[in-house]
Amino acid sequence: MTLLETRNLSKSFGGLQAIDKVSLKVEQNTIHGLIGPNGSGKSTFFNLLTGVYQPDEGSRISFDGVDITNSPAHAIAGLGLARTFQLLRLYGELSVLDNVMVGYHPHTKYGPLAPLFNGAEVRRQDKAVKEEMQELLEFIGLADHAEIPAAELSGGQRRLLALGRAIAMRPKMLLLDEPGAGLSPVNVDNLMATIMTLKERYNLTIIVVEHILKVVMSTCDTISVLDHGQKISEGTPEFVKNDPAVVEAYLGREMADEDIRAAMDA
Amino acid sequence: MSFLSRIADLIDALAQRHRLLPWLVAYALLLTLPFILSTFFNDYLIDLANRACLFIMLAVGLNIVKGFCGQVTVGHIGLYAIGAVTSAVLSLEPGGFGGALGFGLSVWVSIPIAVIVTAFAGLIVGLPSVRLEGAYLALATLGLGESVRIFIAVTPALGSSTGLMMIPAPSIGGFVFDSFTSYYYLVMTAAVVGIYFSFAILRSATGRAFQAIREDTIAASVNGINVVKYKLLAFVLSAIYAGLAGALFAHMPPGYLHHNNFTVIEMVTLLLMVVLGGIGNVWGGVIGAIVVTIAYDQTKDLVVYFMDRPIVIQPLVFGLSMVLLVLFMPRGIGGWFEGVRRNRRFIQRSEEKLGDAARNS
Repeated sequence: MTLLETRNLSKSFGGLQAIDKVSLKVEQNTIHGLIGPNGSGKSTFFNLLTGVYQPDEGSRISFDGVDITNSPAHAIAGLGLARTFQLLRLYGELSVLDNVMVGYHPHTKYGPLAPLFNGAEVRRQDKAVKEEMQELLEFIGLADHAEIPAAELSGGQRRLLALGRAIAMRPKMLLLDEPGAGLSPVNVDNLMATIMTLKERYNLTIIVVEHILKVVMSTCDTISVLDHGQKISEGTPEFVKNDPAVVEAYLGREMADEDIRAAMDA
Repeated sequence: MSFLSRIADLIDALAQRHRLLPWLVAYALLLTLPFILSTFFNDYLIDLANRACLFIMLAVGLNIVKGFCGQVTVGHIGLYAIGAVTSAVLSLEPGGFGGALGFGLSVWVSIPIAVIVTAFAGLIVGLPSVRLEGAYLALATLGLGESVRIFIAVTPALGSSTGLMMIPAPSIGGFVFDSFTSYYYLVMTAAVVGIYFSFAILRSATGRAFQAIREDTIAASVNGINVVKYKLLAFVLSAIYAGLAGALFAHMPPGYLHHNNFTVIEMVTLLLMVVLGGIGNVWGGVIGAIVVTIAYDQTKDLVVYFMDRPIVIQPLVFGLSMVLLVLFMPRGIGGWFEGVRRNRRFIQRSEEKLGDAARNS
């Protein structure tokens, strides 16, 4: 079943065509990789999917059978589409626990003014949510840091928290924007293992943007390649790896075949 | 420091028994304040306490929109003015001094109406926040706030330069709240209830949504928070506090209102309270309001002579302390205290864990 579909998705900033008629399907319960050189439009693509940017005329995005083309970001989040950011965008001053509790926001069952009129119910619900979120922190290994402001965590812990905050939204689909950026190879492996576990545990469909090709090649079911805002290739890791168009986009025409292999496998 | 920690521990212990117990104990203690002040000091200090309570309400309200939601508003004092003038005009007898408007309503009716009117005004002050941020929003709200004051200053129906006089005091049955002490019970109760509700809001999902918007608006929106809705809600909630504080100010003895009470200087003083207390910290705002009200009062007549000319140095002192605060204590008293408490808890837990480990081995 197709969970997310874009049709002719386009976005231009002034004269720059950042995303150019990208049509893409993501099947449920798969990990879909999105790769491409710097500036190829990967992050813009995520921003369009999550409503941070509004797409140009003629674009179509549907998620879980709902047209979300022009929906505001918070509405899209409410439908079960969560994401992480390349630069994390954690709530630095808030505690680790509060960060994930904000993630739970779309599932809050009381209205914004309920604390004034029905304090007992608000406290009861918040207590339950807090316990659930403590469990989540336990699971991702941040329970000991629950009360520490997010800004005081180490780099690796912050990446985990960003992931935890997205998971707290109980999403159907998770968009990961370079989850391994800035991590050492060992930590990247650990993080990917955590992501795989989370996928199984919460029944997630994942789109991942990643520069570390080894990670993408080993974990993704399908890979789409963007270059200059256009989708230039799509298929299994094996197919994409051998597609001349991809090789050219990454390394230019001149590069010899064996060098390409070496670079891809590195 | 350890004294403060001990008080905090005591409050925790009371809260363990019943959630409301610390509040009731604090309220009971506050009820005795006028007796203490009038016995050991003088009645003027009760008036000062009343004004401190009004500023507490203003600071707690401003903390919601600025401290928690991160929206830099400099128009809050304008909302205070709207609350004050609305309630005053509604309760004044028709045909008052100098062409002042009057509708002769009961104070118990005029205050709620003033609060509602101010809430709507808060919505209007909040509208620029949908598109503007930071300094631009500050300028827009400053303009709105100042235009309220100027409008009052040039409109005879609202008191203009002479001000509104003989604003009636509230009364229940035969009892009139027209003395410093009786009015204290009114404003103190309002302030305590205001603080309590601010905690109720800020410790819920609503408060967390405000904070998320402050920390990162884009992250908040992809976390499912309707940023526009919550920003406006923060403005309206803070306006309700400002409206109530303003209305209570209007009817406070001696029942006189002048637009000079709503200048930019007052606004800066209010900001100083929130910054000193610690942005985003409710108790910090309360402490800031008390400290600054007293400091403001004590430095009011501070004059130094330079070449035989008197120079009022209060604005200088306040401006300088604001700069120093932001430089050296950006999280204020409250932020500092919170950090200390958090570290203590962390150490306690670590020790417990070490103890457990030692027992298990």
